Formats: sequence, structure tokens, C-alpha cells
Amino acid sequence: MATPDEHNRRLSDRRAIHIAYAQAVPLTYCIDSDLCLHLNGTGHCSRCSDACPADAVDFLMSAQENTIRVGAIIMAPGFSPYNPQGKGSWGYGVLDNVITSPEMERLLSSCGPTSGRLLRPSDNRPVKQLAFIQCIGSRDPHPCGHGYCSSVCCMTAIKEAMIARDNDCELEVTVFYSDMRTHGKGFDRYFQRASDKQIRFTRCRPHGIEPAGKDGALRVRTINEQGRQLEETFDLIVLSVGLEIQEPTIQLASLAGIHLGPEHFASTSSFQPVLSSKKGIYICGAFSGPKNISLSIEQGSAAAAAAASLLMSRRDTKTRKLRLPPAQPPAAAVKTGVFLCHCGNNISETINLETVRKQISVLKSVSHVEEVLFGCSQDTRELIIDLVRSLGLNRIVIAACSPKTHEALFRRTIREAGLNEYLLEMANIRNHDSWVHALDPDAATDKAVDLIKMAVAAVMLKRPVTANTAAVKQTALVVGGGVTGMTAAINLADQGFPVDLVEKTDRLGGNGLNLHRTWNGEHVPPYIKKLQAQVLDHPGITVHFCATVLDAGGHAGNFHTTIRDHKEHRRIITHGAGIIAVGGKRSLPDEYGYGKIPGVVAAVEFDALHIYNDIRVSRGSSFVFIQCVGSRDETHNYCSRVCCTHSVQSAIELKKEDPNRQVYILFREMRTYGLRESLYNRALELGVIFINYEQFGKPKVKSHDEQITVEVWDHILHRPLHIMADMIILASGILPNPDAGRLASLFRVNIDEDGFFQEAHPKLRPVDLPTDGLFVAGLAHAPKPIEESISQALAASARAATLLSQKEICLDAVKAVVDDKHCDGCALCIDVCPYQAITPLETIDADGEQHKLVAVDTMRCTGCGICQGTCPKRAINVVDFTYEQLTAKIEAALN
Amino acid sequence: MRPEHKPKIIAFCCNWCGYAAADLAGIQRIQYPDSLRIIRVMCSGMVHPEMVLHALNKGADGVMIIGCQLGECHYIDGNEKAMARAELIDELLEDFGFENDRFLITRLSSSESEQFARTVGTMHKRVLELGPNPNSNQDNGDTP
Amino acid sequence: MNIRLAAESLHSCSGCEISLLNIGEALIPLLNRLQLVHLPLLMDHKYSDPAGSETEISIPKAEIGLVSGGVANTHQLQVLEAMRKSCTTLVALGTCGTHGGIPAMINEWPMADALQTVFSTVTTEPVDVPNQDTPPMLDRVYSLDEKTDVDIFLPGCPPDPTIIARVLEDFLDGLTPEPVTKSVCDTCPTRRTGKSERKLLRFTANARFDSNESTASMQCLLEQGFLCMGPVTAGGCGHQGEPACIRARVPCRGCYGPVRHQDNQMLGMLNGLVSQGIDFKTIIDRKSMLRFSGAHGRLRPLKEKKRAS
Repeated sequence: MATPDEHNRRLSDRRAIHIAYAQAVPLTYCIDSDLCLHLNGTGHCSRCSDACPADAVDFLMSAQENTIRVGAIIMAPGFSPYNPQGKGSWGYGVLDNVITSPEMERLLSSCGPTSGRLLRPSDNRPVKQLAFIQCIGSRDPHPCGHGYCSSVCCMTAIKEAMIARDNDCELEVTVFYSDMRTHGKGFDRYFQRASDKQIRFTRCRPHGIEPAGKDGALRVRTINEQGRQLEETFDLIVLSVGLEIQEPTIQLASLAGIHLGPEHFASTSSFQPVLSSKKGIYICGAFSGPKNISLSIEQGSAAAAAAASLLMSRRDTKTRKLRLPPAQPPAAAVKTGVFLCHCGNNISETINLETVRKQISVLKSVSHVEEVLFGCSQDTRELIIDLVRSLGLNRIVIAACSPKTHEALFRRTIREAGLNEYLLEMANIRNHDSWVHALDPDAATDKAVDLIKMAVAAVMLKRPVTANTAAVKQTALVVGGGVTGMTAAINLADQGFPVDLVEKTDRLGGNGLNLHRTWNGEHVPPYIKKLQAQVLDHPGITVHFCATVLDAGGHAGNFHTTIRDHKEHRRIITHGAGIIAVGGKRSLPDEYGYGKIPGVVAAVEFDALHIYNDIRVSRGSSFVFIQCVGSRDETHNYCSRVCCTHSVQSAIELKKEDPNRQVYILFREMRTYGLRESLYNRALELGVIFINYEQFGKPKVKSHDEQITVEVWDHILHRPLHIMADMIILASGILPNPDAGRLASLFRVNIDEDGFFQEAHPKLRPVDLPTDGLFVAGLAHAPKPIEESISQALAASARAATLLSQKEICLDAVKAVVDDKHCDGCALCIDVCPYQAITPLETIDADGEQHKLVAVDTMRCTGCGICQGTCPKRAINVVDFTYEQLTAKIEAALN
Repeated sequence: MRPEHKPKIIAFCCNWCGYAAADLAGIQRIQYPDSLRIIRVMCSGMVHPEMVLHALNKGADGVMIIGCQLGECHYIDGNEKAMARAELIDELLEDFGFENDRFLITRLSSSESEQFARTVGTMHKRVLELGPNPNSNQDNGDTP
Repeated sequence: MNIRLAAESLHSCSGCEISLLNIGEALIPLLNRLQLVHLPLLMDHKYSDPAGSETEISIPKAEIGLVSGGVANTHQLQVLEAMRKSCTTLVALGTCGTHGGIPAMINEWPMADALQTVFSTVTTEPVDVPNQDTPPMLDRVYSLDEKTDVDIFLPGCPPDPTIIARVLEDFLDGLTPEPVTKSVCDTCPTRRTGKSERKLLRFTANARFDSNESTASMQCLLEQGFLCMGPVTAGGCGHQGEPACIRARVPCRGCYGPVRHQDNQMLGMLNGLVSQGIDFKTIIDRKSMLRFSGAHGRLRPLKEKKRAS
């Protein structure tokens, strides 16, 4: 029975028994009970259970209700893509060649319905003209849309456009957008790369799509930047649909008894961005507002940190420790056992395992070859343990899938058998062979023999290795006493880990001291006061004022950082983890007459004047905000993320105080992303005038007889506009901390091209620094508003707590080892080590002669093997990847 | 002489990119030439140029090193070291009697499975055009 | 019982034999235990057995045979084969025997071209390449182990006399001499930090050092930016003490050949430098790094195709 495949967005079919998608975890089949003839009672089919060699299909399995008692709940129900069917005049569902961005994602995927080729759904012809229309269901106050900005669709469209162009350089791609909201770290650069790749970005919001002729072409009426009406035709139009919260999630929230705000997003405070309205229930991800992958991951960690601090007293009360038999002493003769996995029929369907078995059995060191149906199943693992014990096997080769996914499992298995876990090698005959040479079984079989011979040759040379453990100093260092640093310190201290907080000034608060309100109107100063008090009163936090970091050393679990405090005392702080929260710096404008014309002020200064009701503000009747001052230019090629919202907020205040005031905002892209869009809408309602300018046509500010004039090109009137202004407010951006480069080199981490700290992975490890045990949060990472800084602070403390909650850490044994027989301390490897783990060493032998060597600090060594690739004498080798083993593999592959 | 030239290409794949991309290519069932024999390394910076030469001396028709995109190295700058060494290998192969087209270094990220398969295809075609490695029938035992 | 010793010099300069004699006083007790049965450098001895064929080379039986020099022509090959036949243990004495040595630098060109160049330079009278009464040249210069089995490798240009003496002593005592496993750096006393200059200097200026201080106070010459071949060259030149060139505050030239027999000095060194971030293209004559180890196919003429283009 076939039904549309949900994962492929219904663009292809699937069966009743199916694997949801190629990367599903667990990667097992499941049965759609509505569709299955056996289960829905319309037939007596049992073909799947007859065919299953493992006899794993159980039709009697049924849903079960479980009650789990917990101390905290984290809700991460995510979002649903907006469904444009029947809404607006997009023709979605009527015109075959109008698809949504999630559908586009599937069309571009090589495991999608078209194997990655961009074909029109109507006739499977290759697409030549592709268009994206942004803001479908977002920034759309009509009843069938949503008023908020979905925040991620601009980047999604650019990404999809880039992939489509990469696959077909002839393809013409157009993106119709309102404002390009690429406000994330590095996103503006990505946007520029897309423009460089000849992707056309047109600032226009088409009102609908109509068919052009009968062959499936589509017509869009647009207005270009010169105001001319155009008609354009496309083969395929992608609707960049927004994110929304749908009914099941709303019901879930009501069951949990938590409050949802406008548009059904969970309501949170800016100061507690992962706490729901109910104590003990935490929320993360797009449930509390549209957000992208890295922000969602940060919030996931942040929610964990918040829950961990609540459950602090119960830590480790439910954990169990694995007991293992003592490892056997190494035997003299190598006896290798080879296990050939059929992986159901994923391997055996293509590779002739019988032939493989014959060719492998004759190898000298191989004493046993066993074919198994599923190497990773429980019974096979027990079989492996039995055979290791009964046959005295002392090296194991598993010919199956990827060591990246299964090596840990098989290591554990042979360890349970009493064998050292490093006496294992995997031959990847599935991902690298049967799956990719499915059409040529003979070649796949030959290759499988080679791959297994390579593994056998390498495993012979392996020796038992014992992984070292290292004690963890269960304390943390937080560098920076701003909102981010204080939040991280409080959370870690609440979790029971003492914290040293290093602040460079004599006051806690950092850049937060300049803030008055969050975007949703919460007052910042009282919150900062509260944080300051909490930090100063917390018995677990030691604050070092007027302190700077002078030096840093050590490794995850045991860092030692030297600081100099206000009394000029140097002291060394030892700590298990470190969080860098050194913040950023406001940029001082150097244009628009700033510092020369009295009425031209920066946003931070204007806030102060406004609060103290300075006469210039209270008597002013015309205000002009200029956006992107010190952001998105040649020297600062990034968006400062907060300034649009801030200017809009100030504009609203000015209008609310006196509706007769003229308030202008001159902007390049209005980036009131996410739920902040409501502020933009409010400002429009209040009559704030928004005028777009481009980088090449910046506004000009002139002052004559104490009258300030701003000249800007008006894109609607198509002529320059002269605005008489009482005050000009420059939305100046955020700069990296000028000390970031120095700190980065002390802590052996990197800064990015803009001077912010570079995280380990921009999407998947957003708060980890590349050095284990060190984390980054707040403005030190990139410009961001206060609630995102707080989320990041909590995320960083959660990541730090995963390390600090262990008394000792087990170090991976895959590290560089010096061969004393061949190393002569020539020192070529010392400088190439990215972690400075290698140091020169002098020894004196029995004859009193001096010899030189090098020593590896196993705590610092990450096992990358760059030293191995440098050493001219093969005298430094990474365990499991020694020169000898790699050479053995080469020779086995070629013989 | 063998009737048909079935080339073999040794590919040193970084655990974090090339190897993962090859795994993904498998999951996506992307078909590519069967000449490839992947050797997993932790970082492309782990590969000593001697190893490349050794493979060629032992009869490999081609050798590839697959490392991470610049700026994405799991170990800060191992891929840059590998790139610098690759330039050296490129230059020296002719000194040692091999066409430098028998060697290729490429940069990938773990998600670029199609790029991976394409690169393997390109290399396969290249070694077919070059013909068998002159050393493939003899073991001149140049390196241990 | 006396141990019989045979010695031969092939494609070499006799420096190794001089080093053998330079053992000095220690040689006298050794000579009491050794019986020299064949040593053309010191004693006249005819190859041909008066009773045998004229072309066959015969060398008296010996327990130990020392051969210096590589193999470049058919005669040398014949002598080598005869030595192998006659000697129970064959020692390759000197870098020419172990890795081709200086004469193997010719391997960079096809032999015929090289001879042509040698015998017809612009400043000399044009003559033919001699081919009468000279044994034909092989296609290139070979190390001994490329042509026959070698039991002990004793590199050096020349090998340090104390090392030759020790190998002979070990042999007489029935011990197997231990091969060198470490490079020149092992016993080099200079200071190393691991941080090197990013640019290589030519050795036209002196290294930085204080002549009143010992070499231990001098910074590693490679780190000073000089192309010191120490890291890729077998140690032993200082007989476990300070390496000979370093003692003279001059960078190692690489004369003991690679540390491990089959290693490649040029590749090892260039890779070491490249890994430090040094642009290898700044090294003008990289093939000179193989000036002592051009055999084993390390140095070879570039393919015609490449040179034509």
C-alpha cells in the first residue's frame, strides 16, 4: 500500500512499512497502522513479517500509557510550517509548479523524490527560471496570515537558491523580498555571496501568482525599484512559508497549564527566556518565537541549565555505573575474529559474503570468520562475546557499517568480553560499498574483500591501550561581569559549582548598564540590580573587580588562569571550565556630523537624554533615526541585530508622547525579526515614516544656522527628500571587545574575521569554543539582544556543567604517543601542534649521555596527528592511526 | 599485462568531513566508481606525504586526501597544513616519477555527499586517462 | 681462530678506507684478531684465479666483507656479486654503499646525457664518450642493497672511525651491531624551542652564536633559519657526542643518509619545513637534499614529457 511520503512533503510515495527518513534515529522500520492492511482490518497481509529475516515485525504491539514522575519538564514541541493552501492568491494546491520552501528542500535533496534534480512537478522538466517569494504567511496582518516575522525564511531562501545555483549554473534565480533579514552571525556575508553568484534579489512583494499559458509556466506582476510595473514568468515558484504554532501544540500547552502569548507562542520574559509561566516547566526552540537552528540549540542547553539548577539537590540520584570484567592480558599470538554483517540485506543483497568469507578465512592472522544477520543486534553482540571467550580471539574486525556510528557500541561489546576496547577495527562495507556500488555486485564484493583485508592488516598491529582519566576541578571561571557573565555565574553556582568571576571594571553590569528596556518593554535596570545583588551575595561566587586575565594554561577539567586584580595582585585561578563573556563595545560613529553637529547623537546617548527629558527631546518636533551606522559597511561587515528594534521602539515612544512629532527612520533593511515585528507594525500605525536607503546612497546631514537638514533619496517619490530635523539619532552598532584577540590567543581559541569569538560549530555547537572546556556567550560571540545573551549564558553554563558534574573525566586514548626509540627531539613537531601539547624533553642515559626527546601532554593532545604528518622519523604516532597501521592498510588495499 | 585496467584509488578521508560525507553518500545511495579505498584519518593533517608516495610506489593508480573546508578544521588548522603539504606533493611527484595528476587533495564538509561522489568520479576518470600506475606490476620496494 | 676480512671499493673515493685506517691505535688489537685476505687498496691481489676463467672474478672466502661505494658499471656489479659470494656477512661501508652517496647525484639525469655533458663541455675539446676498455655504465648509480643482500649498513661520508671500529669489535665478539635509529639531533646539544624562522636563509652568513660558549648555548641552526639536515639524517657522526658539523657550527649536510634505511631525506625535510609554514619554493635546489641518498630511485630524471613542455 502506498501513501504520500510526509518526509518528502508528499512529493513522492512511501509504503505502509517504512523508514521515516534516511537519518532517522533509530534507523528502523515502522508501520503506519492506518494504512497497513493487517492492522486496519481490511486484509490479511503479512508480507513484511514473512520477509523479515530477523522476525522483528510484531503486529500485536500497541500503544501504551506510561506515567513518569519528574521534577522538571522541558517543552520543545517546535513549529509547523505555514500552509498556504487556499490562502491568498498564491495558487498553492492549484498550480502544480507553486511549491513551499520545505518542499523545495526535498527537491534539492539527493535522497529526495527527484534525487536532487530540480524538476517541475507539473511535467518533470528541468527548471530554468526559479523564483522565491518571501513572507508567505509572515509579516502579513491579514486574517489568514501572521503579523510576526518568521525570522528564518530569508536565510532558508538564500540557502535553497545557492544550492539550486550550485547544481545548475544556468539557472536563473530571483528572490522577491521585503527586507532581507540576514541578521545572524555571518549571515550578511552569505547574502553577499549569493548576490555575487548572480542570484537576483528584488525588493518587491508580489500580490499573487497566475498561470501563464497552459504549459505550467507562472506569471508574477512586480514593480521594480524604478517604480515600473513588470510581468515576469517562471517555471517554478517557491513560497517561503513562515513558522507557526498549530493546534496540537496549543492543546499540549493548555494541558501543561502554561500561558501562550499572541499568535500562540509560549510567553516568556526576556530575563528568563526559557522559563514558562509555570514553575518547573521550561521551554525552548521555536515554541517561544520563531528562531533558527543555533538559537534553538542554545535554548535547548539553556533549558537544561535552568532545570539542572532547580533539580540540583537530586543530581546523580538516578544514575547507574557500568560494571565490566577485568581486561585480559595481551596474548602472544594474534587471533583475529572477523564478523561479516548482512545488515538485513543491506549488505548481503549486493556483496557476495560467501566469496568474501572464503577469501578472508585464508588470511594468516584470521582464526575465525562469522556471518551475522545484524552485527549490532543484542544476540549478535552476545555471540561476539561468546566467541571471543571460547575461541580466545584477541583482535576483532567488524565488517558492517560506519565506525562513526557503531564503533563505540562494538568497543563496548568486546570490552564486555574482557578484551581491550581498542583491539577493534571496522570495515565499512555498507556505507562505502554495498550502498554505493549496488549496480555492480562483483566489484562491490572485490572491494569488500579489500576493505576487510585492510582492517585485518591494521588490527593485527594494535596493542591494548588504557585511556587515562583526569580529575576535574569542579569550579568555573567566568570572564566578564556583564549580564551574560553574571547569569552564567549564578546558574553554575546554583548548580553547586563555585565560580570565580573576573570583571575588568569596578562594577558589575557591563553593557547592560546602558539599557533601559527590552524589546517587549521590560525594565532592565531593576533586573541588573537584582543580578548584581545575587552575584555579590552568592556564597559560591567570588568576584574579582578591576581584574584582567594575564595568562592561561591547562586543559579541560584543570585550567589555570593568571589574573591581576585591582590591588595589582597576580593570582592563579584553577578551574575545570571557563566561560568567556567579555561582551562587546558600542561603536562610536564617525559620520553624519557626529561630534560636530550638536543635534546629532548616538542611540545610547539619546536614550539617556530621553529618560532625563532633556529639553532637546521634549521640545523637539522632528526626529530622524539613521540605521546601520557602523554596521554592514566595509569595515564592519555584519548586522548588529539590535539597532532596528531599538530605533523603532524609541520612535514609538516619541510618537506616543506627542503624535504631532515627525519621526523618520532611514533604514537599509528593517530587521525587526521574529515577534519584534509587532513593534514595526505599531510604529507604522503611529505614523512613523520609514525611508529605505542603500549603502551607495547614504543620507547626507547638513547643519546651517543651527538647523539640521537630512537629504535622502525617496524610493517612492523618486527624488531627494529634505527633512528638517531637530535631532538625528544614529543607530550605532556593536563592536567586538578590543581585547578579544589577545584573550583568544591566551586561551588558544580563534576570533572570526569581525573580531568576535569563533564557536566550534556555527549551527551545532554554538556556545562551545574549539578548546574543550571553554565556552563563549553573549556579545563576545556576536551582537545580540539581552534575552539571547541570557539564553546563551545559560547554554554555556549547561555545557560547562556537563564537564563539571564529573569528578573525573575519561580521556580518549586516541592520542599521540612518542616512540622513544626513534624520537630524537628534533622539535619539528612542537610548533605544528595546534594545542601546544608537545614540549622538548632532555634525558640522560645509563652511560651519562644526554639525549633529546619530546613529551606529549595527553590532556592537551586531541589526537589530530598533525605531528605524525610532520615527523620525518615516524617517531610520533596517534593510537589507532599509527603510521604503521595506515601503511598496512595501504598495502592491504593494493595487494 | 592485465586485459582491463581496474584502477585503485587510495583516499585518506578526514574523520570529520570526507569520511562522514562518504557515509552520507551511502545513506543517500549515491553511486560512484568502485575504485576507491578509503582510509580513515582523524585529520587530513595526519597524512604524511611519504604515505602518499608509498601508496603510489605500491601501485595505487591515484591517491586522494579529503580534508575540511578552510576554517572548519576540527583541530584549528590541520587542513591548512595538509594543503601546504599537498602543494609539496604536487611539486615532488614528478621528481619521483609519477604524474602529479595521480594525486588530488580536496576540501569538503560532512554534508557534501554529492560533491564527494563527484570528486571521486573526477579522480576515477583522471586515473583512467592516465592509465595504470607504472609501478602497479612491480614492487620496487622504495619505501617500507 | 682469526676472522677473515675482505674489503672492496666500488664507485667511491676511498675516503671510507682512510677512515678505516684512521681508527688509529685501536686498529692494532683488531688486526691481531683479523686476517686480511683481500684489500686491493693496501695489498696487491688479482681477481682472476690463475686456474680459472679470465673473466670470472674470484675473491677469497671471508667471514666479513666491507664494501664501500655504490654500483655504477658492470665491472663493479661483478665485483659486488663476487664479494657477496665470498663473504658470510656483507657490510655496506659508507653512504655511497648504503644510499648511493655523492656519485648518485648523477641519477638526476639520464646516464647517456650525463656522460655526454661530462665529456663535451664548451671549454674542452670535443671527444667521444670513452667506450673502449672501460666497463659499460649501468643506467644509473645503485646502492649495494639494490643489487645484492646487505647484512650491515654502516653509513657516513666517511663513517666515523670509532663506529667502524665498534662494528668490527662487535662482530669479532659475536654480537650483532645495533643499527642507528636516531637522527643527528639526538646528540646535538643546541637549544631548541620548536619555534623556527618562517624563512630559510642561505648559509652565506655565520650562524648566531657566542664563540666563547659551548654549542649548548647556541640556538638550533634550523630554528635560526639555516637548512640543517639533522632531523632527517642518521646520527653517529659525532660518535654519540656532538655531531661533527654542529661542532664546527655549520648545519648538517646529511652525509649519513636517512635515519631509517628507506626514508627519503628530501621529502622528510621538505615536509618538516612546509609543516612549519615555510614556503618550500624558497629552497632553490631542493634536490641537493638528496646529495647523499640519490640511489633507490630517489633521484631520477624527470619524464621526457615534462621536460618537453
